[in-house]
Amino acid sequence: MAMDMRACFAALVAARRDEIVILSAGNASEMWWGLTQDRDSVFYLEASMSLAPMFGAGIAMGVPGRDVWVLNGDGALVMNPGTLMVECELALPNLKHFVVSNRAYGSTFDATLPNAAGNDYNALAAAVGVTRGQRFDTVPQLNAGLPEVRAPGHGLWVLEVEALGHKIPAPPIDGPEMKFRFGRWLERETGVRVFG
Amino acid sequence: MTPADLSPAIAEQVAAAGVGLVASLPDGWIAGLIARFDEDVRLRHVAVNREESAIGLCSGAYMGGTSALAVMGASGFLTCIYAITKINYTYQIPLPILITLRGDVGDRAKYHVSNGLYLRPIIAAMALPFVEVHTAADLPKIGAAIGHARTIARPVVIGLARQVLKGAD
Repeated sequence: MAMDMRACFAALVAARRDEIVILSAGNASEMWWGLTQDRDSVFYLEASMSLAPMFGAGIAMGVPGRDVWVLNGDGALVMNPGTLMVECELALPNLKHFVVSNRAYGSTFDATLPNAAGNDYNALAAAVGVTRGQRFDTVPQLNAGLPEVRAPGHGLWVLEVEALGHKIPAPPIDGPEMKFRFGRWLERETGVRVFG
Repeated sequence: MTPADLSPAIAEQVAAAGVGLVASLPDGWIAGLIARFDEDVRLRHVAVNREESAIGLCSGAYMGGTSALAVMGASGFLTCIYAITKINYTYQIPLPILITLRGDVGDRAKYHVSNGLYLRPIIAAMALPFVEVHTAADLPKIGAAIGHARTIARPVVIGLARQVLKGAD
């Protein structure tokens, strides 16, 4: 079973409180943008190629009082599963790694993902010591699991979603604009000095 | 010439430049320097799984208000072209990157010949500011390069010669 991706993201958007949100390339960024048109309080790390969790970890270190939600594609995780080892060792209590598992390379017209049907991302994470986490197959499961996500501690939560089957628009935000809008928002919200 | 181990002085330059996070993956020449970073209470050192992860982590750290330094060998640096161009160039995120000048004259490792041939041309092709550190007198260039990355909001590469590291081939 898998969720409709739009319904899954809508649930996360509705549930979000003050979390910092980092979105990996492709469908994750595009869906969040489509639902929110948010230009400030999220970072669309387009062309992130597996690095969104590390990017989020760097922010989580500097802003320990805020949870950081990283929405990472399963294609990205497959490219660089070793980041789980780094995340595990960092043990950042405010870093929450979501895997948007559509079992395809969604941003490239649902191209084939290696071993797509057989990949168990929670088991992969657990094998390197990331034992907190859960797979969500339905929106009610996701909503019910959010209190555990919010509890202190790093973990990996799998959002099992259907592949979109079509392209959706990317955020129309140039890189420097993204940096400054998000950075200024973070400065206002948390008091950290990003730009000095 | 037997290399001098200037790792303590290099770490001083890095800490004095305000760096709070070092993300690293070693090669034989900088394992000692990385151990020095790991012991330094002024810095948080993170060992990463691959060099691109250092680029991602340090770039995020910048967006979280932490000045960061990526440390890696020349070969690892060459695996980072995509990450540097897509993250640091696209978003104009500053990042000092400390690398080894593997493949230079004096490097006895034949498998680093390619670095000697292609490292500098590739850095030039990427239009990356590049500072080379060959002697103790060059060490202040490290802090200056870290500051320069912030000024230009781009990556700056700092190349360490074997002569300033107690490197093993």
